[in-house]
Amino acid sequence: MSALLECRGLDAGYLKGRPVVRGFDVELQAGQVTALLGPNGAGKTTVMITVAGLQPSLDGEVLVDGEALARGSARAAARKGVVLVPDDRALFTGLTTRDNLALCRRRGGTTIDEVLDFFPSLRKRIKVEAGKLSGGEQQMLAVGRALMLDPRVLLIDELSMGLAPVIVEELLPIVRRVATETNAAVVLVEQHVHLALDVADHAVVLAHGATVLSLPAADLRADPSVLENAYMGETSAAVR
Amino acid sequence: MLHIGFLLLGLGSGAVFAALAVALVVTYRSSGVVNFGTGALALLAAYFYAFLRKGELLIPIPGFDRSVPIGGDPGMIPSILITLVISALFGVLLYLVVFRPLRNAAPVAKAVASIGVLLIIQAAIAAQVGTQAQSVAPILPKDVVELFGIRIPVDRVWFAAIIVAVGVLLTLWFRFTRFGLATRAAAESEKGALVSGLSPERIAVANWAISAAVAGLAGILIAPIVPVVPSAYTLFIVPALAAALVGNLTALGPAIAAAFAIGMLQSELTYLQSLWTWLPANGTAQLVPLVVILVFLVFRGRPLPSRGAIVQRSLGRAPRPRNLLIPAVAGTAIAVIALLVTSGGTRAGVIFTLVYAFLGLSWVVVTGYAGQISLAQLALAGVSAFALNRFAEGWGVPFPFAPLLAALAATVIGVLVGLPALRIRGLPVAIVTLALAVAVEALWFRNTDWNGGLGGAPIGAPTLFGIDLGIGSGEAYPRLSFGLMCVVLLLVVGLGVAALRRSRLGAAMLAVRANERSAAAAGIAVSRTKITAFAIGAFIAGIGGALLGYAQTLATADAFTAIGGLGLFATVYIAGVTSLAGGIVAGVLAPGGILYTVLNDLFSLGYWYDIVAGIGLILTVIAEPEGIVGPWHRMVDRLHDRFTQQPERAPEAYDESFLDDAAAVESGGPAVPATPATAAPFGDVVLRVDGLGVRYGGVVAVEDASFDLREGEIVGLIGPNGAGKTTLVDAITGFAPSTGRIELLGRDVAGVKPHRRMWAGMGRTFQGIELYEDLTVEENVSVGQEAGRHGGPHTDWSQDEDYMARLFRVLKLDDVRDRPVRELSQGHKQLVSVARALAGRPRVILLDEPASGLDSTESAWLGRRLRAVRDYGVTILLIDHDMGLVLEVCDRVVVLDLGTVIADGPPAVIRADPKVTAAYLGTTHSPVVTGS
Repeated sequence: MSALLECRGLDAGYLKGRPVVRGFDVELQAGQVTALLGPNGAGKTTVMITVAGLQPSLDGEVLVDGEALARGSARAAARKGVVLVPDDRALFTGLTTRDNLALCRRRGGTTIDEVLDFFPSLRKRIKVEAGKLSGGEQQMLAVGRALMLDPRVLLIDELSMGLAPVIVEELLPIVRRVATETNAAVVLVEQHVHLALDVADHAVVLAHGATVLSLPAADLRADPSVLENAYMGETSAAVR
Repeated sequence: MLHIGFLLLGLGSGAVFAALAVALVVTYRSSGVVNFGTGALALLAAYFYAFLRKGELLIPIPGFDRSVPIGGDPGMIPSILITLVISALFGVLLYLVVFRPLRNAAPVAKAVASIGVLLIIQAAIAAQVGTQAQSVAPILPKDVVELFGIRIPVDRVWFAAIIVAVGVLLTLWFRFTRFGLATRAAAESEKGALVSGLSPERIAVANWAISAAVAGLAGILIAPIVPVVPSAYTLFIVPALAAALVGNLTALGPAIAAAFAIGMLQSELTYLQSLWTWLPANGTAQLVPLVVILVFLVFRGRPLPSRGAIVQRSLGRAPRPRNLLIPAVAGTAIAVIALLVTSGGTRAGVIFTLVYAFLGLSWVVVTGYAGQISLAQLALAGVSAFALNRFAEGWGVPFPFAPLLAALAATVIGVLVGLPALRIRGLPVAIVTLALAVAVEALWFRNTDWNGGLGGAPIGAPTLFGIDLGIGSGEAYPRLSFGLMCVVLLLVVGLGVAALRRSRLGAAMLAVRANERSAAAAGIAVSRTKITAFAIGAFIAGIGGALLGYAQTLATADAFTAIGGLGLFATVYIAGVTSLAGGIVAGVLAPGGILYTVLNDLFSLGYWYDIVAGIGLILTVIAEPEGIVGPWHRMVDRLHDRFTQQPERAPEAYDESFLDDAAAVESGGPAVPATPATAAPFGDVVLRVDGLGVRYGGVVAVEDASFDLREGEIVGLIGPNGAGKTTLVDAITGFAPSTGRIELLGRDVAGVKPHRRMWAGMGRTFQGIELYEDLTVEENVSVGQEAGRHGGPHTDWSQDEDYMARLFRVLKLDDVRDRPVRELSQGHKQLVSVARALAGRPRVILLDEPASGLDSTESAWLGRRLRAVRDYGVTILLIDHDMGLVLEVCDRVVVLDLGTVIADGPPAVIRADPKVTAAYLGTTHSPVVTGS
């Protein structure tokens, strides 16, 4: 099976010569959920916004269907179906739920109704301004808005940002369902490591900008100590 | 009845203002630019139209032919359409060339660039077609209809109706079309637009085309009514800005209504000027926008909506002068030698360089240090010059006192104009200062009752102890003694500005410039700091104005025009508005300064000066916010680093190094002195919150919250997202209005301003950290000391050593003291923000999510540091999502849910409390119940 999206030797960061993430490689398959894990400051968000084209890469390539994406072009990424749900959600807070979704509607694409089937509780909030939704509803809307764009690669950054664990527990299975039903490749950056591993097929662990682990999620579920070592081992190594 | 007639006449200018206000709103909403050049766009369109009707196509580029013939007048409607298309294309060009590169810049930087646009258009038109008024054949029916004895000018009514129709159409379009929806969406979150597959740039391009066409329409339709004169049209922007501000730069309806009100009031005042002799003979019309802006800002002001942009560039660094002796001696020597070796016009150039340097320095203080964009410094200089005439010639006040009094008069006006800045920051300050400059020019400098008539207001030569310090006349002009006096005064003022930058007040100004909220949290009196900056800046400008008056031996309106003030602002910005050196270099570049004089002798600059200044201003804003002196400062810094032999350590080397202590703990080494959670017996209540409530509109954010903090306690404040934790902290520290009692050490502080609560012994951090990214760690932290300097109860850590040294040691910040904060990791920034809050020696500190962005190792380490801080007697209220940290570190935990306290007790009890579990884990009232 050939990869839907591939990063080859990606250097990501904000200043030339000072990459936050170095030599990042990953292959994403359709319908699979990949958990991108790692301690804070590891560079997970930087990878996400670079792949989505919000930030030009410093080196390396992002390929979709084997074709390289233009550096730092969010539109080029969006055209190829690479869609980001940013950690701050970046909703249009003054617009209603419906308008937020409607803006992303494409001819012949996913309909608002289909998105609401994933998030039924948004249905009764359809006329409410996005800024007045609860945190969980806002996150649903952010994911829903991304789904309107018929993503082939869905990048979800910090789904749990500012949400109570119980809400995260409800949202993650929906993400799994999205991957299965729309056959999109999903990348999940998540603080709640174990919740993320429950729904993921594959896991990549970053520490200090380098990939320290890349393996099936099941392996990490089976032996959590591997992950703890990746988190803690790397940290204490850096301390010395 | 005549009154109504004049009010109706005002519909014409009201319509222009309305159209320009619409253009301003459209541009601001789509790209965050307050385009000061909107009036200039109308001017351009008016000329295009006028030339088309003469059968010519205007080429507004100096150096080319004025126009090319197009074989006859295309007729009225085609000419209008052609002009509108050209206007729209020009708007697109402006966006692509000037504002697209600035799309991530702060709104103030964009507005400054638009001032460059204004200068370029205005000067280019003046260069190509001169400043003679052009007359244009009527477009709208010119009849006058009499109705109930009122003479109604039909063209004005038509004009008004057209503009109102345009406003209504645009409103409907923005509300009901997909494009309008996309525009509103992109205005709210650019990032959101990008991830939604929308192109904020295409949206901006389309909106720029619309706004430029609307401005162009205004220019075309007003051309037959008001004779086309470059500066008059350009300054239509002031009433238009006033109107747009009434609509908060976002709402079309109120902006249009306000524009008509301003236009009609102006017309009526012009009539009253002739009727009531006690009114000033000139300039009351220009007073209207100023009053509207002031009234609006003072009574209804709220912050302009800002766009959720991805990054925001700051004003350039304001370097701290290291060594004053060498630059002062060298600068003085250069100035004196330049005066000695020159004569005649060139020496005058040196003298004007020195004089304009005062104005440069006044901008450095107000804009460079305090971050307030003032466009009125030249007008304030004018106030001083005209006041000097009054004091010295009118009342015979002797030399050193007359100019000082004059500068004080400028200070008074400067403080008055700075008052709105107390409530509102950023752009409105630029708008109100421009309105002031226009009003003062019209009302005073051009008012023949007060300006000394056609010959200007004479200012005699200054003499001190019988020595003539005047600039002289005839063969003696310019006399050396006047130049030397300027050198001495500039040396004094320059050293004063350097001392200001190094002082606490200077640090406070930079803190205010960087972030007003966190400045207040550091105990800085934000309002007082800003007003002080305005006062100092106005005083320096006043001295410059008095010297300019002496140098010209009279005060004339032409030396102090509002447009001239914009040009000089551009010059200072180009030179480097954030540093002392930039202020001085501004004098060299200023019109009349030495460089100008030399170049003018060689090439005859004429309008090219303004054009180059405009282009330079835009380039400076885009490429080098520190101005011409920026690269020089960086070179000096590098040399300094090399000579002081500081090892160049890669910033990464610092990252996480503060965790050394954690490693020590893991390896069994001695830890910091940290007490177990329940060791210390707690003292008296230091903070009591009683029945606290916060409402935003109809939403209850916090309701009847009550709890106590006892001395030496660490209390955790937890609760699910949206429970109101941050709001509660904001209310306790004075950043959100609240009801109920807040007692700090027995004193009720509810209703007390934030910085005064800090003086009284509080400290806080922010969820977003909110540090001053450009300042070093040490500078950041030392800003926080302000809170401890105003008496009041504070902790005393400093029994045995320097408090700051101990603070840096306890928080393990020693290694990074001299690094700019922007280079630090998230974890380090959190610590710096805690250190800044502690620098004011608070008795109680409220930490808003200090562990966000930290991994579990780091947050455990932070917990131990907080214990260490507590051991020095600081009571801590800790908000965090990291339950591990809260339950581990805190002596007691308060649980907030839906704005009310639902539990309060030791961690073990809280952990077991079913109410708490329900709030966190239960779904009983969780707003997110999926319908499955």
